[in-house]
Amino acid sequence: MNKTELIFSQQFYKEIFYNSPVAKLILDPIGPDYRILDVNDAYLKATNSIREKLIGKSVFAAFPANPSDEGSKNIERTIYSFEQAIQTGKPYTMSNYRYDIPIPGTNEFEERYWTTINIPIVDEKGVVQYFIHCPSNVTEIIKLAEREKQGIEALKAQREQLFSFFMQAPVAIGIFKGAGYVVELINPPLCKLYGKTMEEFLGKPIFDVLTEIKGHGFEELLDKVRLTGESFKGEGVLVPLKRNGQVENIYVDFVYEPFRENDGSISGVIAIATEVTSQVKANLKVIEAEERARLAVDAAGLGTFDLDLKTGEMITSEQFARIFGLAKPVSRKEYIEKFHPDDRQLRDEAHKLVLETGKLEYEVRILWPDQSIHWIRVDGKLYYGVKNKPARILGTLLDVTLERKANEEQKKLFTLVNNSVDLMAILELDGTNSYINEAGKNMLGFESDSEVKKIPISQLHRPEDFEMVEKEVLPSVMQKGQWAGVMKVKHLKTREIFPVFNNTIRIDDPVSGNPIAVGAVMRDLRPEMSAKQALEESEEFLRTITTATPTGLWMSDENGHITYVNQTWIDWTGIPFEKHLGTEWLNAIYEEDRNFVVEKFTEKMKERVTGDAEFRMKNADGVIHWYIATGKPQFKEGIFTGYIGACVDISEQKQIQIQKDNFIAIASHELKTPVTSIKAYSQVLEMILAGKGENKEAAMVSKMGTQLNRLIDLINDLLDVTKLNSGKLQFNDVEFDFNPMVKDLIEDLQRTTRRHTIVEDFADTGTVFGDKERIGQVVTNFITNAIKYSPNSEKIIVHTSLKDDEVIVCVEDFGIGISENHQKKVFEQFYRVSGDMQHTFPGLGLGLYISSEIILREGGRIWVNSSPGEGSSFCFALPVVHKQGN
Amino acid sequence: MNKTKQIMIADDDDAILDALGAMLEYKGYEVRPVLNGKGLTEMQNELPDLLLLDIWMSGVDGRDICKKLKAGNVTSKMPIVLISASKDIHTSAMEAGADDFLAKPFEIEELYKMIELHTAV
Repeated sequence: MNKTELIFSQQFYKEIFYNSPVAKLILDPIGPDYRILDVNDAYLKATNSIREKLIGKSVFAAFPANPSDEGSKNIERTIYSFEQAIQTGKPYTMSNYRYDIPIPGTNEFEERYWTTINIPIVDEKGVVQYFIHCPSNVTEIIKLAEREKQGIEALKAQREQLFSFFMQAPVAIGIFKGAGYVVELINPPLCKLYGKTMEEFLGKPIFDVLTEIKGHGFEELLDKVRLTGESFKGEGVLVPLKRNGQVENIYVDFVYEPFRENDGSISGVIAIATEVTSQVKANLKVIEAEERARLAVDAAGLGTFDLDLKTGEMITSEQFARIFGLAKPVSRKEYIEKFHPDDRQLRDEAHKLVLETGKLEYEVRILWPDQSIHWIRVDGKLYYGVKNKPARILGTLLDVTLERKANEEQKKLFTLVNNSVDLMAILELDGTNSYINEAGKNMLGFESDSEVKKIPISQLHRPEDFEMVEKEVLPSVMQKGQWAGVMKVKHLKTREIFPVFNNTIRIDDPVSGNPIAVGAVMRDLRPEMSAKQALEESEEFLRTITTATPTGLWMSDENGHITYVNQTWIDWTGIPFEKHLGTEWLNAIYEEDRNFVVEKFTEKMKERVTGDAEFRMKNADGVIHWYIATGKPQFKEGIFTGYIGACVDISEQKQIQIQKDNFIAIASHELKTPVTSIKAYSQVLEMILAGKGENKEAAMVSKMGTQLNRLIDLINDLLDVTKLNSGKLQFNDVEFDFNPMVKDLIEDLQRTTRRHTIVEDFADTGTVFGDKERIGQVVTNFITNAIKYSPNSEKIIVHTSLKDDEVIVCVEDFGIGISENHQKKVFEQFYRVSGDMQHTFPGLGLGLYISSEIILREGGRIWVNSSPGEGSSFCFALPVVHKQGN
Repeated sequence: MNKTKQIMIADDDDAILDALGAMLEYKGYEVRPVLNGKGLTEMQNELPDLLLLDIWMSGVDGRDICKKLKAGNVTSKMPIVLISASKDIHTSAMEAGADDFLAKPFEIEELYKMIELHTAV
């Protein structure tokens, strides 16, 4: 303690010690405790200690070792340091050792590194009194040094990695230094690319090693990079390199980069290269393939298209447009408009289907601008874009019109062959058929195509018939190329032997000209034979009929010359067949009728229409018979060929008709005689009674006279009809003034009716040439009809006029009228108009018929206008006579 | 007073002769009926003022008689009116030389007019 006191006594030094910025500990030099004698503030701070807890304590107890700092020899080293300093009496430095210090309030330690000087303090006797322990915290320095060391290691490793990368890189790399481009570094890929070993390059100018690329411009490129510092990139550059003793053309992608030193100066060039020979060649091949594909597309006449499904835009080739008959590609919409209307649906469906199948395939018709129809085939493929959405369709277009036509023709031909009623067969030279059509199989009894090929033709004939095939048919076909004729074949199943007409031809190879097969067409002759037989039978039948018929039959050529008369005609006339041909038949006609018959026949033949004529002929028995002949014109393919006609003996009918006409004539004449007497008596009686003033009686007799007149009219009508029918009605034509004639008739007729007023509506008509009495009869007929059929009206108007050289008379009434469908019939014989009740109106129904016949025979027209319930207007028109000089 | 005119009627029918006679007598003519035209062509004197001659009589044709009478010296100027039930023989009647033709049956006025016309002096 004395020593301690000694130091404390020296207060000044004490202050210096405590305030020294260097951590200091004063220790007792007696081991093993080395007690702490004093400590300064810096030390306390550095060790996180409190003075009171340190003073007097063994230094090792105050600062125990960190138990986690395993293998630490710090205590031993510290003791060794203490001992050295005490023994030598000189300061001893312990450098850079770890001695962790505890963290106050915890059981943990903080890593610390120290460099400590232990300074012994020696007295006069050279004995160490105490020593000063001065630790310096070097933790930061140590840590820094460690980090620096780690950094260098990392750099070293990085450099090694870089070198390794450089050497192992799949890319060829080389560093060429200086203006001579001495190879400083070159990796195996570049060596391999150059076709040389690394040793051949290292340390040598590159162009000395690769003499073959000298003068190809690479020096200039390197110079430019080295001198300007700008890198250069080359793609697919052709480099002729000597490999394995011979020059090869290789393609290289390369980059020349300037090699910069640390100070930024350029000392060389880094070359990085990739051989792309295979890619370039592949590219060339792709281009070539593309070119070939394009040529193929062009040669095939294919049009191509690229349809963008998003925009609907379609790019088409020139050929595509040409197939559409267009000079230049047009928009998709315009193309679609060219599709045949009937095929548009087909196209639309194909486009719908492409989204399911990915394929576009269809054949449709299109219309060219000239409206001609063309067939096209469209083939396309669907391509998908992002998110697997359909993006576009690429495809081709081909004009298949000719193909279609050829196909169709082939189909038609095949259909023709298969639907032929004739056998068609191909016979191979080995004697078997390779093909027989359906008709042929049926004809010969083949059941299948395989049977056709199996059965030799020898089985299709009787032996004696096959002999003909072998000796005549086939030799002729082989030598002359053809055989045609009738042969007999045998049905395979029924064994029936039947004739066929066979036409066989040799089929030659179109190139060599050698026969390769035989083609046969056979027609079954059985139907023809039976048809022929049937025809013969029917001809016989017809002949029998024409002979047996009581009708005379005749035929003429286009000039009217008779070419045929049947047996009946021959029998009638008693004149042989030949004597009727040409115009000789006329001799058989009764002389008086001959001209009429010739005229009628000539007239009808001129018009080539059906006609008839009645004539008389003196028969073989000497009796004159009446005949009616009818003839019908014949046309073959529109060309007139003559007449075919028939003749019927109508003598009996004619006789009956004559008798009837005679009877009526006589009967009506006989009727007239008593009527004439009665009329005469009644007229005289009327006058006598009137003379006596017995007016009532006279009026009655007058009425009787009216009824008599009706009776007379009826008799006259009957007579007239008889005469009309027999053509005996005579006309006494004279020129007469028309209107006065009508006026006289109206005056007479007005007397017969009290109810009606007959009104004259005359225009100037002039004269007419005709039978005055007969024409008057027509006017009378019209007016009496008007009176008769308009019982409830009071007026009848008679119009006369002159128009277009015709005198027109119309008698207008306001009576019951005639419905339209009856108007045409009123001029027919025996037609009667009915009123509300049948038979309301009396009469024979002959008046208008007679009127019509009279007017027609006088060259005029007759007609009626009528409305039921409103009345009728009966009219006739007659041609006027032109006075001379008018 | 005029001399009563004499009209000869030739017909093969009694009733006609009688009826026509009645008509003419009523008018004051003297009527000479001849049945069937017998003996007409032999007639030389006592000629009537006018002859009404029927065409169609049994066995005789009035037109033939007419022709003969018109051809005879004495009878040629005698007016003859041919009568027939058939209108169509008007032409042939005139051709036979008749002065006129009357179709049976007729109106009395027609007969009177015709007689007046052909017997007028």
